[in-house]
Amino acid sequence: MDAISLENVTKSYDGVDAVRHVNLRVRQGTILGLLGPNGAGKTSTIRMVMNILVPDEGSIRVFDRPVSDETRQSIGYLPEDRGLYPRMQVRSVIVFLAALRGMPEAEADRRARQWLDRLELGDWAQKKVEELSKGMQQKVQFISAVLHQPPLVILDEPFSGLDPVNAATVQDIMLEMRDQGSTVVLSTHRMEQVEKMCDSICLIDKGRNVLDGDLRAIKQSYGKNTVQIEFTGSDSFLSHPAVASVNRLGLGAEAKLKVGADPQQLLRAAVESGAEITRFALLEPSLNDIFIEKTGHA
Amino acid sequence: MRKVWLIVKREYLTRVKTKAFVISTLIVPVVGIGFVLLIAFLVSHAPQQNLRLVIVDEAGGLAAPVKQNLEATLANGKREFTVTDTVDRPVSPDAVELDLRNRINANALDAYLVISPELAQPVELHTKNPGNFTLLEPLTQALNEAVIGARLNARGIHLADVEEISRGVNLRVIKVSQSGESVEKGQTIAIAITLVVLLYTSLLMYGIITMRSVLEEKTTRTMEVLISSVRPFQLLAGKILGVAGAAFTQFFIWVISLGLFASYGAVMAALLNPSSSFPSMHVPLSLVIWVVCFFLGGYFLYSTMFAAIGSACSNEQDAHQLQWLAMTPLIFTMVIYSVILNDPTSTASVVLSEIPFFAPVLMPLRISLQMPPVPQIILSLVLLLGTILGTIWASAKVYRIGVLMYGKRPTLPELLRWLRYS
Repeated sequence: MDAISLENVTKSYDGVDAVRHVNLRVRQGTILGLLGPNGAGKTSTIRMVMNILVPDEGSIRVFDRPVSDETRQSIGYLPEDRGLYPRMQVRSVIVFLAALRGMPEAEADRRARQWLDRLELGDWAQKKVEELSKGMQQKVQFISAVLHQPPLVILDEPFSGLDPVNAATVQDIMLEMRDQGSTVVLSTHRMEQVEKMCDSICLIDKGRNVLDGDLRAIKQSYGKNTVQIEFTGSDSFLSHPAVASVNRLGLGAEAKLKVGADPQQLLRAAVESGAEITRFALLEPSLNDIFIEKTGHA
Repeated sequence: MRKVWLIVKREYLTRVKTKAFVISTLIVPVVGIGFVLLIAFLVSHAPQQNLRLVIVDEAGGLAAPVKQNLEATLANGKREFTVTDTVDRPVSPDAVELDLRNRINANALDAYLVISPELAQPVELHTKNPGNFTLLEPLTQALNEAVIGARLNARGIHLADVEEISRGVNLRVIKVSQSGESVEKGQTIAIAITLVVLLYTSLLMYGIITMRSVLEEKTTRTMEVLISSVRPFQLLAGKILGVAGAAFTQFFIWVISLGLFASYGAVMAALLNPSSSFPSMHVPLSLVIWVVCFFLGGYFLYSTMFAAIGSACSNEQDAHQLQWLAMTPLIFTMVIYSVILNDPTSTASVVLSEIPFFAPVLMPLRISLQMPPVPQIILSLVLLLGTILGTIWASAKVYRIGVLMYGKRPTLPELLRWLRYS
């Protein structure tokens, strides 16, 4: 069963299409990265899945049921606009939100303590929310999205404002949740994070779904078209007709080959030019490259 | 139901626990009671104004009656003046006055009066403390009575006869109701107007508090998180009940403390001044019950309206511009209530008090003035209840859409369009 399925979903605001004919399936127990430039329609898509916005066309199903006030109760949600009751105590807010999700308060309190300790907020549990920094508030909100172990978690930009240590902790938590059977959808701009943790991606640009599917399959479909060469001596071979573009690095260069070109030709040309080759490797394109190629901008 | 309860609990506790709530709850009775106590203290501990006075009567024959009038004891058993001496037709007035001035400066005397031979001339009061206005009134009265008495006597008429002849009649108003007759000393009007003001201000105040509370979730952006856990209607119901709980707690504390103090104050007043006839503010129980019914009805009617307005706006400024929608009918009750005060049985009064938006204020007013037929009260309550259900329905729709809308303040036609969305 799919955790989420979107069929031909379209949404426009005042005549401007924010989301156009998007189709998407998220398999249960996987992590999906929702990528796209600013204003591409990621948040609109998420809000439609949350039944906060209603699509103009198409249908959205969550765990095979059409979205409704009921389906969103099974979703742990970190909205783009962060917000918590500013004058409530950190732990009381978490317990309150968990209790609203149906968890007994004593159990919610016990888990809140564990989570606060894990995210290094233990000393702040009794403080008011408004006394916390932005990044800390975000961690509190992340806790309240995942504390009740929802079968589906939707996180809009979970890493924004987090330092590398906390970002890594949040990433570990998401991987754990997936291993326990939950489905995670996250929108982000951080390609390296997506490459490390996502099973599949969906790339949205100008409201359209331009690329989606299993991350490994996507990268394989692009083939190993990048050559990393480390060498000393002449670099004249880099102007070989098979080379599309060159990116100079400290010890050598990264050359992207033209479609259908044979990397062996380049290797031969390099040897013949008299350069001393210390490393020659074929690479998959990075997600960053794919993103730039598909959207035409970073 | 559990979710509604959780929201009510959070709303109630976060409100009741704030310093502002505790302070305002305590300060109203404390300041009120303190103020009354201060006045009571000042009145009962006012310095004894037993003024030592000498009367210099240059006209002759007036000193004795003035002395008599001035030394009459007051109702509280105290005397305002003690006439230590009278000087009838002094041979050398200047010498006498010089002596009196010396005595005043030596604090052996407080004041002296000089009645000139020509009564057309003003009587002079010589004192160290001319700012004491409270003494002028009794002094003038004592002088006038003495002078008028003397003139009447000269024509062979007794002052007592004139007083007897010219005594007016008093009009006593007695209220007839089913519970019997009671002497009217203006307390029916007092109760009625107090009731109107109390209902109006509390409905308005708690309505606006509810509106702010709904707005809080939008301005702090908590709404999107909440909405993924509860249905909008549960949130709306929880908010209104939570604010109601806090409001009623505060109101209850105020009423209890003021009630306790009023009964204590009445006892104190009776002890201090047994002769004072304090009009008994007897409030019949039936009135209290009806008022509570209509207040609750009005509370839910107006707070759902205010909640819908709060949900449709993104910030306080926008809400202020839209709150007239709910405030207009309330303000109208304040404009129109004199119609009912003048004649609670007129057709206009009956119709106005049946209109659900006015009933919460105007029907209790009618009941307090003159008990209307019970079917009219019941009809008014039924209409009110129906309207409450209608506004809850409409508010829930506006709320459901409004809570997640940010940006431009919706116009009235847009709000009406929201009602048609499923």
